Amino acid sequence: MEKFVRQYNEAVFDTDRALAIQVVHDALAEGVTPEQVVFGIVVPALEGMIPRLRGAQGVSLAQHFMASQIAAEVTDEMMSRFSSPPNIVGRMVIGTSSGDFHGLGKRIVSGCLKAQMIDVVDLGLNVDPVHFVEEVLARNASIIGISSMMMHTATGDNGCRKVRRILQERGLEKRIRIIVGGAPYRYDNQLYRTVGADAWAETALEAGAVVKHLLREVHS
Amino acid sequence: MTPLERLATVAAGGTPDCIPLFCNLIDQGAQELGMSPKEYFSDGSHVAEAQLKMLKRFGHDNLWSLFYVGKEAELLGCRHIIYADNGPPNVGHLVLKTYDDIHDLQIPDNIVDHPAFAETRKCLRILRRETGGRYPVCAYLTASMTLPAILMGMEKWIELLFTGPPEVRDELLEKCSLFFRRQAAAYRAEGADILVYSNPFGSTDVVPLTFFENLSLPWMKRDLEEGGTAGIVYYCGGARMNSVLERVITETGIATYYLSPMDAISEGKRIIAGRALCAGVINDIRLVARAPQQVREEVRTMLKAGMPGGRFFFGTLVMPLAIPEANIRAMIDAVREFGSSPW
Repeated sequence: MEKFVRQYNEAVFDTDRALAIQVVHDALAEGVTPEQVVFGIVVPALEGMIPRLRGAQGVSLAQHFMASQIAAEVTDEMMSRFSSPPNIVGRMVIGTSSGDFHGLGKRIVSGCLKAQMIDVVDLGLNVDPVHFVEEVLARNASIIGISSMMMHTATGDNGCRKVRRILQERGLEKRIRIIVGGAPYRYDNQLYRTVGADAWAETALEAGAVVKHLLREVHS
Repeated sequence: MTPLERLATVAAGGTPDCIPLFCNLIDQGAQELGMSPKEYFSDGSHVAEAQLKMLKRFGHDNLWSLFYVGKEAELLGCRHIIYADNGPPNVGHLVLKTYDDIHDLQIPDNIVDHPAFAETRKCLRILRRETGGRYPVCAYLTASMTLPAILMGMEKWIELLFTGPPEVRDELLEKCSLFFRRQAAAYRAEGADILVYSNPFGSTDVVPLTFFENLSLPWMKRDLEEGGTAGIVYYCGGARMNSVLERVITETGIATYYLSPMDAISEGKRIIAGRALCAGVINDIRLVARAPQQVREEVRTMLKAGMPGGRFFFGTLVMPLAIPEANIRAMIDAVREFGSSPW
């Protein structure tokens, strides 16, 4: 098992999708279960990248993206082979804020969360605040994730601020949390408070822990 | 000293009356003229007029011929731009949807006379005429390694780069490099003094170091081999560059580096070691919410880190429209105050 963990980690860090998939199939061939692949190889690989974020070499956006896409692909394949249905820890809807057409960030986040058994419903680009709220209710989800690449879409009246207002007006704040992410929040770590979000994550790799914390808050 | 003399002095290692102050007021133009963004960007004379008005009002040292980043995509066939009242326009039509589109992509032979360049050219000519070579006029050009992101979208480009057919990737990069070279020649012909060479894919924040060395750097050299590095400013679109500075300086000879707000200025200066001009760039996202006194302190700290040893100037990043005018003034006043001291 240790051998596969190391090989998978190296492949993911080298953005080598083909090798990562091969390692997974080699592991299955040697008797590793689909559950062990996800929880013993894929998730630890994602978590193992977090310390590297702060290290000298860092983790680039491309590595982040490839790691999340490989994780999502492997998780999809493995879940269909689980011996019993997986325990989904919670559900969230995600989309880019109104006026924002940059989808990379939410795609990276979705891939990382999927491997951590968080069900993510992708609402797409340029999502209207009302639609965010309607969908989080319709999907019986607990978290709204709003990705913004530009300052005006992060802070504008038709973004997170309006989602917060709608939650307040409808008395939904106790059962629904908002998490935000994207470039403006990295430049100002307090900006998430300004726009009325409950939390933010600097990277998709770290988003899993933040979302799980919010889920615990909602369900406690 | 005129701003252009100021810049030339500091670039040559001399001591100007004050360090140059580059303030990128792009999104503010439409509001300055009281127009909708769509109307504003439809005419190069509007952009030039706003640039000149804001220069007079704030007293910074540079002018821009940039309308918005998607303008380059329009030269390559983008037919739809999405305007916003409170921020920069977005590309609303991706030119490259399939690999066949890459094969069919045509690079204009003549950029200067291309209809999609007409308003930019008009703007440049007005700026040159009105300022008579006293102010550096900046142009914004995207590196071959980064341009595909606005032609096909960031996700598709990363997928092609890391998992796609190398021959398709290289065909696109070759076309984008040709476009860069032709566009650089056009801007130089129309009198732009500074060509901001934007390359987020030349930062290890975006690509791994091995990728940077094996692909980004060779394509940067290809972009620059024909026209040279005169007036070129290396800029990674806000991504950090300290980790690649040494390689870029030694391999390309670019003479000016516009750091990220996330780069430590003192570290950037140490790596550059007097071989090139360095801009310390303020985190202008934080200018939206800060008090003028905090802005002043931030500038003072930056200049203290950057000015020793000379060959340093001050820059801004994206300057969001929401920054209060008082903070823009506080920033500029602080640069003038602390940037005039001897180093």
